[in-house]
Amino acid sequence: MIAALLFTIFIVAMLAGVPIAAALGLAGAAAIAIADQGTQWFGLLAVPQNFYAGLGKYPLLAIPMFVLVGSIFDRSGVASRLVRFALAIVGPGPGMLPLIAIAVAMFLGGISGSGPATAAAVGAVMIAAMKRAGYPDAYSASVVGAAAATDILIPPSVAFIVYSVLVPGASVPALFAAGMVPGILAGLALIVPAVWLARTHRMGAREGDVERPPFWASLREAAWGLAAPVLILGGMRMGWFTPTEAAVVAVFYGLFIGMVVHRTIRVRDLFDIFREAGETSAIILIVVSLAGIFAFSLSTLGVIDPVTNAIVNSGLGEWGVMALIVLLLIVAGMFLDGISIFLIFVPLLLPIAQHFSWDLVWFGVILTLMVALGQFTPPLAVNLMVSCRIARVPIEDTVRWIGWMLVAMLLVTVAVIAFPQLALWLPARLGY
Amino acid sequence: MSAALPMSDPTSPDLPETTAADEPTRVPLRLEDWLTVVSMALLALITFANVLVRYFTDQSFAWTEEFSVFLLIVMTLVGASAAVARNRHIRIEFLADGGTPQRRHRLALLGALAMALLFFVIAVLSVRMVWDHYIYEEISPGLGLPQWWYSIWLPVLSLAIGLRAVGRFHRLRRAGVQA
Repeated sequence: MIAALLFTIFIVAMLAGVPIAAALGLAGAAAIAIADQGTQWFGLLAVPQNFYAGLGKYPLLAIPMFVLVGSIFDRSGVASRLVRFALAIVGPGPGMLPLIAIAVAMFLGGISGSGPATAAAVGAVMIAAMKRAGYPDAYSASVVGAAAATDILIPPSVAFIVYSVLVPGASVPALFAAGMVPGILAGLALIVPAVWLARTHRMGAREGDVERPPFWASLREAAWGLAAPVLILGGMRMGWFTPTEAAVVAVFYGLFIGMVVHRTIRVRDLFDIFREAGETSAIILIVVSLAGIFAFSLSTLGVIDPVTNAIVNSGLGEWGVMALIVLLLIVAGMFLDGISIFLIFVPLLLPIAQHFSWDLVWFGVILTLMVALGQFTPPLAVNLMVSCRIARVPIEDTVRWIGWMLVAMLLVTVAVIAFPQLALWLPARLGY
Repeated sequence: MSAALPMSDPTSPDLPETTAADEPTRVPLRLEDWLTVVSMALLALITFANVLVRYFTDQSFAWTEEFSVFLLIVMTLVGASAAVARNRHIRIEFLADGGTPQRRHRLALLGALAMALLFFVIAVLSVRMVWDHYIYEEISPGLGLPQWWYSIWLPVLSLAIGLRAVGRFHRLRRAGVQA
C-alpha cells in the first residue's frame, strides 16, 4: 500500500516534469513519514541523515573530477588535431569522415568519462567538416551522438563510478576493464551502418576535395592528445594512482595542453570551465544523494523482496527475466538519463541479479550498454541533444538515420549478454 | 576548392547553457558561481597535491579526505542552488514541455514548488540533526573537529536552494503564461 503510494507519487511527479531529484526526495520522505507514524517526528530525521551520508562519500569525488576532465578536453583543441591525424591515416574517401568521427569519439572516450562532453568536442569539429564535404546535418548529428555513447563504456566512465558506488562488490578498476572490449565493439559496430548509409545514399560527394594532411606533421600535432589515455589508463593500470587521482592528473595535463601547448584555453575561460563542470557535477550528485532517501524508504518498507520474489518466480526463467530487464531499460532509456536509471533501477534489479548469481561486473556492463543506447534514443537523448544543437537540426530529423545505429549497438548488447567473457575476459586477465 | 579542417576548436561550442544569458535574479548568481568554482578548484588542487606529496615524500596526506568530502558537499549544494535558478536540474521534459502554454506554465510552477518544498523540509529537519551533533559533541572521524562545524552548512545551503526555487516560482508567476 505504502509502496504503491511511493511509486505513484514518484512516477506522477516525474512525468509532470518535476526535477527527478525532487521527485525522489519527496516520494521517499512521504513514504518514511507514513510508515513511521508512531515514532518521533515520524522517523523523518532519516531524511537529512541519508541525504548527508549519501553525499559525504569520498568515492563520489571521482564524478566531479571526470566531469571536469571532459570540460577541459572539450576545449583543449585535442579533438581537431586527432581528427586531422585520423584523416592523415585513412585519407579522404566515401564514408571516411563518419568513420573518423566515430574513431575519434572512441579515442576521446579513453580520456573523458561522459557522453555529452565528447559529443560536444567531436561535434564542434566534425559536424562543420562533414557539412562542407556534403553530408546532411541530421546524419552527421546522428553519427556524432551515437559515437559519443561509446564514451561511457570505454574507460574512464562516470557511469561505472556511479554503479560502483551503488554496488560495493563491483570495483571501479574491474568495471573500467570490463567496459573496454564491449565499448570498442560498440564503436566498430556503429561504423558499419554509418559507412554503409553514407555509401548507399551517396553522401559526402565532396569528400574527395578534402585535403589529406601530411602524416608526420599531424602525428606531431596530435601527440599530446594521443598520450592522454596512455597517462590516464596506464597510470591506473600501473597502480600509480586511483581513478580519482587519475582524473585529477588528467585535469592538469589537459589544462597544460589547452593553455600552454595549443593555447585554446585562456585564463579567463577557467572560471566558465570550472563553473560549468561544478554545476553539472552538482546536478548529478544531488540526484545521487536524494536517491539515497528513496532507496532507504524502499529498504525500510521491505518492498524489494516481494517484487524480487514475484519476478524470480514468474516462470520466465533466467533469460526471460534478462530479456524483460533489457526491454524495461530500453523504455526507461527513452525518457530518463543514465544516472537516474542507475539510481532508480540498480537497487531494484540487484537482488534479481544476485538470485541468478549473475556476475555483478558483467551486469554493470550490460546496464551501462543500455544506458549508452538511451543516450541516443529519442525523444530524451542527451548526446543527440548536444550534437543536434551544434548541427542546428531538430532531434526528429535524426530518426531516419539513428535507428540503424541503435540496432548495431543493441546487437553488441545481445552479444555481451550471450558471451559474458566479452566483458569479463579483460578484468580477469588483468587480475581485478 | 579545398576544404581544410579547422585547426582549432571554436572556443565554446554553441550550447544554450553557456550562451543563454541568465534571467536576472535579486540575489546575484555570481555568489553560487564563485563558491562552485572555488570548491571545484580546491578539490582538484588538494587531490593533485595528494599525488605529488605521496610521490616526492613518503608522507601520507590522508587527513585531507575529510576536508575534500566537505568541499564536495558544499560544491554540490551551491551548484544545485545555481542550477535551480537556471532550471538545469534533470527532469523529464517530454510531457511537461508539450501541451498548451497554460499547462506548461502550471507544470513549471509545480516543479519549482516541489523543489522548494523538499529543500525547506530538509533544511528544517537537518537543524535537528545539527543540534544533535552539537549537544552530543560529536567529533569528526578524521580530524577530530566538532561535527557540527561541517553539518551546519546543510540547513543553511538547503535553505538557499529552497529560496532559489521560490525565486524561480515568482519569476515564472510574474512572467505569466508564455506562448
